[in-house]
Amino acid sequence: MDELNKKTEEPAEEKLLDVADEGKKLAEAEAKAAEYLSGWQRAKADFINYKKEEVQKFEEFAKYSSADFIKEFINVLDSFDLAIAALEKNGPVEKGVYMIRTQIEDILKKRGLTKIEVKTGSEFDPAISEAIAFMDSDEPEGTVLEEIEAGYRLYEKNIRPARVKISKGKSQ
Amino acid sequence: MPKIIGIDLGTTNSAVAVTEGGEPKILESSEGARTTPSIVAMSKANERLAGILAKRQAITNPKNTIFSVKRLIGRKFSDPEVQRDKAWLSYDIRASSAGGVEVKMGETWYSPEEISAFILGKLKTDAEARLGEKIEEAVITVPAYFDDSQRQATKNAGEIAGLKVRRIINEPTAAALAYGMNKQKNEKIVVYDFGGGTFDISVLEVGDDTVEVKSTGGDTHLGGDDFDKLIQEYLVGEYKKQEGIDISKDSLALQRLKEAAERAKHELSSVTETEINLPYITSDAAGPKHFLLKMTRSKLESLVGDLIEHSIQLTKETVTAASPKGAGFNLGDINEIVLVGGQTRMPAIQEAVKKLFGKDPHQGINPDEVVALGAAVQAGILQGDVKDILLLDVTPLTLAIETMGGVATPMIAKNTTVPTSKSQIFSTAADNQTSVEIHVSQGERALASDNKTLARFILDGVAPAPRGIPQVEVSFDIDANGILSVKASDKATGKSQSVKIEASTNLSKDEIEKLKQDAAKFAAEDMRKKELIEARNQAESLVYLSEKSLKDAGDKVPAEVKTAVTEKVEALKKVKDADNLEAIKAATEALSAEIQKIGQSVYNQKDGGSTEGEPQPNAGS
Repeated sequence: MDELNKKTEEPAEEKLLDVADEGKKLAEAEAKAAEYLSGWQRAKADFINYKKEEVQKFEEFAKYSSADFIKEFINVLDSFDLAIAALEKNGPVEKGVYMIRTQIEDILKKRGLTKIEVKTGSEFDPAISEAIAFMDSDEPEGTVLEEIEAGYRLYEKNIRPARVKISKGKSQ
Repeated sequence: MPKIIGIDLGTTNSAVAVTEGGEPKILESSEGARTTPSIVAMSKANERLAGILAKRQAITNPKNTIFSVKRLIGRKFSDPEVQRDKAWLSYDIRASSAGGVEVKMGETWYSPEEISAFILGKLKTDAEARLGEKIEEAVITVPAYFDDSQRQATKNAGEIAGLKVRRIINEPTAAALAYGMNKQKNEKIVVYDFGGGTFDISVLEVGDDTVEVKSTGGDTHLGGDDFDKLIQEYLVGEYKKQEGIDISKDSLALQRLKEAAERAKHELSSVTETEINLPYITSDAAGPKHFLLKMTRSKLESLVGDLIEHSIQLTKETVTAASPKGAGFNLGDINEIVLVGGQTRMPAIQEAVKKLFGKDPHQGINPDEVVALGAAVQAGILQGDVKDILLLDVTPLTLAIETMGGVATPMIAKNTTVPTSKSQIFSTAADNQTSVEIHVSQGERALASDNKTLARFILDGVAPAPRGIPQVEVSFDIDANGILSVKASDKATGKSQSVKIEASTNLSKDEIEKLKQDAAKFAAEDMRKKELIEARNQAESLVYLSEKSLKDAGDKVPAEVKTAVTEKVEALKKVKDADNLEAIKAATEALSAEIQKIGQSVYNQKDGGSTEGEPQPNAGS
């Protein structure tokens, strides 16, 4: 009875309340829609990014899957360089020997291997080279005196730093 | 959601990992390596270097190249450990005003926390570059024996590096986490950690999601580097015996020998003999000299046997001695053994540990990475505290449709994340078939009748055509609420029919379990049935094809070929509906060989009727 009275007495207010209620519902629905849309967009973006990552991962894999093999092969190339150096000491070396070395290097080049250039007299750079000796010399301290083993890069990755002798400067 | 990284801040090497999609993975450094040397240096050009770059310049700059700072962090200068290390560290250390340690690098004195922060900073930057997002939080591991001061100092190092340290966890606990051992109840675990420069042994007890450290032991100055040194010394000695030349003074020769020694050590983990082959290692007055030496696994083991035995004694003591020296357990009480550190790849170590405990140690996760991965698992748990808004369900069982012979042909495999959809084209099994029945089933059995039927409906009005010609597209679509819609449409007429199934995913747990168990139980039997049906289907197709070919070829086929084919067709018809798989297969093969002659005779007639080179009809069937 009480309620009925209320209703008949305050119809205007009730209507207002209704509108407010509808407004609230709409706002809630809009917020939900926005949340869902953003969730959907996020999921879609995640998926697209995942696909891109997969492609990239696969490319990386294709590029670097032979890295271990190439690293071991570099050891052979090192020995070859030492052999040539030893032969050169005894006089001129048969041209064919150099040609074999070039053959090996070309095979590795085709698979993305490049030599890292380290010049004698340049400043020591640990990003591309590793110091294995530190010795007295007339050159200023920190200068590369000699490259003992070449450094190599496989595509963008340094797979072996050059091994260098570094000057300590003049000993006092 | 920002990611939390897991960091193994080691004495010689560090590693960083992150959990993505529930799986921990190592993040490579900017130089492309999976671990980073824990070394910091101030170069001559006043540039701060961390990681591999600091290592490469170490010999040109020993006073300003800081390594093993983990041995100093959080300790008092007067600590006997610090005093012992002071003697061999190449850089200067002194007491700080508060009694701690300070390290000199360049012109400045740093706290060990600051040096560690440089390493952590590099790991953070590299992780950010790999992940392409900002990292602000981390879980860092420390040895189980670290005291409060050492833990606090490690935490401070993280904060200095700009990382909020969500948790400091023990390295052995992290290793156990990586193997998922935190879920086990009341287990006793031994973690045997043989790193580059330290040997740690920890005894853990797991119960109700807590991990308690019962005892720790080891030797802070025993590691894989000692192994390398022994091998190297042996090689230098052997060479002196062989050639009378001491190569330990030749820096290039020594470098090559060092690498060869490491390589030999690694190789002898998988093979029993290796050859150290270093041409032109040096030269004397007579010319170039080479190094060629066979090294066996047993030689290696005899070289380092004492070190291994020492580690086993320490392990025994840490497990069995009474508290506080040990855990006071019997060796037989230990449930799990975890191996950590690269040196544990050595078979002799695995054998020795196995012999001590009488059971196989856990392997499988890279021992250099297991601690960082475990830290990432912990980070993932912390990350998971924030609930993901969107939870996606999976279909618990395979959804399939019934095809010729009653086979359940899967449309959506079990454990597929929903929402998803899939469609496939099917055809008719008989000539002039004008309707197809779509029977949707759920379950893992090979035959539709053994699975649960979800719906059956008929698509009619298919245009009459020989079998195999009509194209009926069947599509399955499950929405996020697990409601499955199945639609079949005839591509030629465009007629379609569909059905909605509300209850495709809400089977009870018991029901799902039962269906899965049935599938496993009947797997072999189902496979045989399916094979039989497939053979029967093939036989039917062949009978159909043979009869059609005979009709099409008409008089072009000689009577004897016709008779032979008809005979074989009848033979196949006779066996195809029985359950003898072998008989069906044999009759099918015989017919298959026979009908080739139809084509051959048609071809030969066109060609002038030569029958030369024709194979004899296959007599047996």
